[in-house]
Amino acid sequence: MTGHVFGLGIGLAALGVAIGLGLIGYSAMQGMSRQPEAIGKIQTAMLIALAFVELVFLLTVFVVPGSLKI
Amino acid sequence: MGEVLTAGTLLGAAGGEGGAHGASYEGLFVYLGIVVVILFLFLNSAKQGLNNRVFKKWTTQWTEQLYLFIENMTVGIIGGHGRKYIPLIMALWMIIFVSNIVSLFFPTAPTADLSFNLALALISIGYVQWEGMKANGVAGHFSHFAGPKLGGGLVLISLMIFVIELISEVMKNVSLSLRLFGNIEGGHQAVVAMNELGAGVYIPIGFFLLPVKLLTCVVQALIFTLLTCVYISLVTHHEEEGHEHGHGELAGAH
Repeated sequence: MTGHVFGLGIGLAALGVAIGLGLIGYSAMQGMSRQPEAIGKIQTAMLIALAFVELVFLLTVFVVPGSLKI
Repeated sequence: MGEVLTAGTLLGAAGGEGGAHGASYEGLFVYLGIVVVILFLFLNSAKQGLNNRVFKKWTTQWTEQLYLFIENMTVGIIGGHGRKYIPLIMALWMIIFVSNIVSLFFPTAPTADLSFNLALALISIGYVQWEGMKANGVAGHFSHFAGPKLGGGLVLISLMIFVIELISEVMKNVSLSLRLFGNIEGGHQAVVAMNELGAGVYIPIGFFLLPVKLLTCVVQALIFTLLTCVYISLVTHHEEEGHEHGHGELAGAH
């Protein structure tokens, strides 16, 4: 049972994080196309934001098994 | 034969049997040794190409490009006074990058081990605290955690902010190390899972994941050093604060 819950939780986390990453990439590309001269700064900010969003998924992967005692 | 067997056994032990979080203790040091040897050989070769005119040797050229890249990033994020942090940032970048690259060729890597990443994160965050104390004084650094100065009964809120900021400061270690560990170890797990998928038809499908893993290696080394730069700039940036806030408001108005 807990295995099923774990799978569902991982799937939900992946869904949310994918939407978040997509939004970041979408807006960063829009910003880059509007201001090509600011590409360097936008890329830096984008990478930082990507890292923070990615961390949510990793936290889910590593914290959920511990809390479910799998 | 015995020699090879011993080395292979050690690599194997480092890969799988060590425990839930990557390499065993001895295996971690084997891999760390590999990383240090690669770095030493590469930098030694780069040093031999040094001269006063044009660098002809490719290792020297690559190291120069790496230095310029790190310098751009550090000075761009921290500002003019960030030049003195370049040695730290560059050392972190090279250690993490070579450790990640090792994971493409061997069963595991130093950065696929949570304890190694936690050590790196502790070094980075500890240095950030030290720099904050040097820039603002010990009391100034810790009063930074309490947020803006509030009077009267609002001191209670300051106390709460202080506790939350303290927790988030500790969580920076966890987030830095867990991000690196999760990405590298996750790449391994993905390759293993895809190899199992292709085991029936004898095609190592996981092999086609290697370019993605290479990208992950570069990006993770970049992100670790980038975040270190950001944390350093957060504790030492007080003189340009008004300037940056002006920019933010301008961007928000548009």
